Amino acid sequence: MSKQAKATTGGDHFTRWLVIGMVALVVVTGVIFSIMSSSTKANESFAALKGYKLGDSVAASVNPAAGFGLTLNPGAPVTIDLWEDPQCPVCRTFETSIGAYIDTMVRTKKATVVYHLLSFLGPESVRAANALMCSADEGHYLDFHQAVYIVQPALENSGFFSNDNLVKIGDHIGLKSKTFTDCLTKGSKLELVKAHADSMPTYKVSGTPTVFINGKLWERTSNGFDLNEFRLAVEAG
Amino acid sequence: MKALNLKYQGILTLISRLVVGAVLLIAGGLKAFVPAEAASAVSAYKILPTQIAHIVGYALPWLEIAIALLLIIGISIRMAAIVAGGIMILFIGAIASVWVRGLLIDCGCFGGGGVIDLSKAAAVHRTYALEIARDCGLALMSLYLYFFPYGLLSVEKSALPNEEI
Repeated sequence: MSKQAKATTGGDHFTRWLVIGMVALVVVTGVIFSIMSSSTKANESFAALKGYKLGDSVAASVNPAAGFGLTLNPGAPVTIDLWEDPQCPVCRTFETSIGAYIDTMVRTKKATVVYHLLSFLGPESVRAANALMCSADEGHYLDFHQAVYIVQPALENSGFFSNDNLVKIGDHIGLKSKTFTDCLTKGSKLELVKAHADSMPTYKVSGTPTVFINGKLWERTSNGFDLNEFRLAVEAG
Repeated sequence: MKALNLKYQGILTLISRLVVGAVLLIAGGLKAFVPAEAASAVSAYKILPTQIAHIVGYALPWLEIAIALLLIIGISIRMAAIVAGGIMILFIGAIASVWVRGLLIDCGCFGGGGVIDLSKAAAVHRTYALEIARDCGLALMSLYLYFFPYGLLSVEKSALPNEEI
């Protein structure tokens, strides 16, 4: 055993370095290829936002009494509390089937909607939640929120929700004011993001999406998210 | 035992090279062309800061492929075996760490209902154990290759004539 081991110690140094160099070359080329293909993929997903029309401005406020939730259209007879993580794929499913209805309820002033932005899926959720809160200051929470779910990648923490890409999302939907991009890149809302996360236990929320209608947990009976079922629950209060 | 090893060393080395090489080649090949998936998978371990996790996710598949080719063709086997063994030890450590921390890393989200299914957790834990066992086996084969790099069907030959071995 030791004899064979010894035999190689005086091996050809040139060959060894050549092999190390080749391996390094393969790895570096591969990394460059991967980074490029990821960014191409991200840009492709922005195509889905083409022609997006920014809606009317909707004021949003932070309500400390409701777990610091972002409150849209306060004072309506029905209050809907939504708990979601911007990276959660099931929240995207929820948004796809019920999002438009919720937006209409806010815009027609029929419901108060409180958004609780969780970020337990990782640092990219934190960044996206920060960006969403910045968009609320601009009065375009609903627009940015919709856009984030339109482009949400299938995989969590794959590098997609970088501040650069979040600024690009704003760009594509026409939300490009300096206050917005500054707030986004500086992470001005990170404390609020943390406050939302910290309020989870108070409301006994352990997952997303979680919905409360007038403070009562909405327990869906169907497998997916059924718009009619949700609408009836909201109308019943 | 020693005599037995000497008799079959050539074939054992070849088998180890092919097994470790094939596993790395398949594992690397599956991940190399889906970089987002690889990056996401590494960050799911929550060991490295995301930025670094992404670079590792991009680089590791290509390193695996390069090392696999060296092992299969039979060039710089000892060096390749060290790297392969190192990769396996990293994997064992990473899996053990998520296991200890109780992360269920293949589920990502809490799913539709919001509660973690305990029967699923048991299945995930069994998977962790199997993965660690598999990687231990591969690490042992790499160790064998470190001590006996020269066998059958290899480009690189021992510097010593066979009868001295």
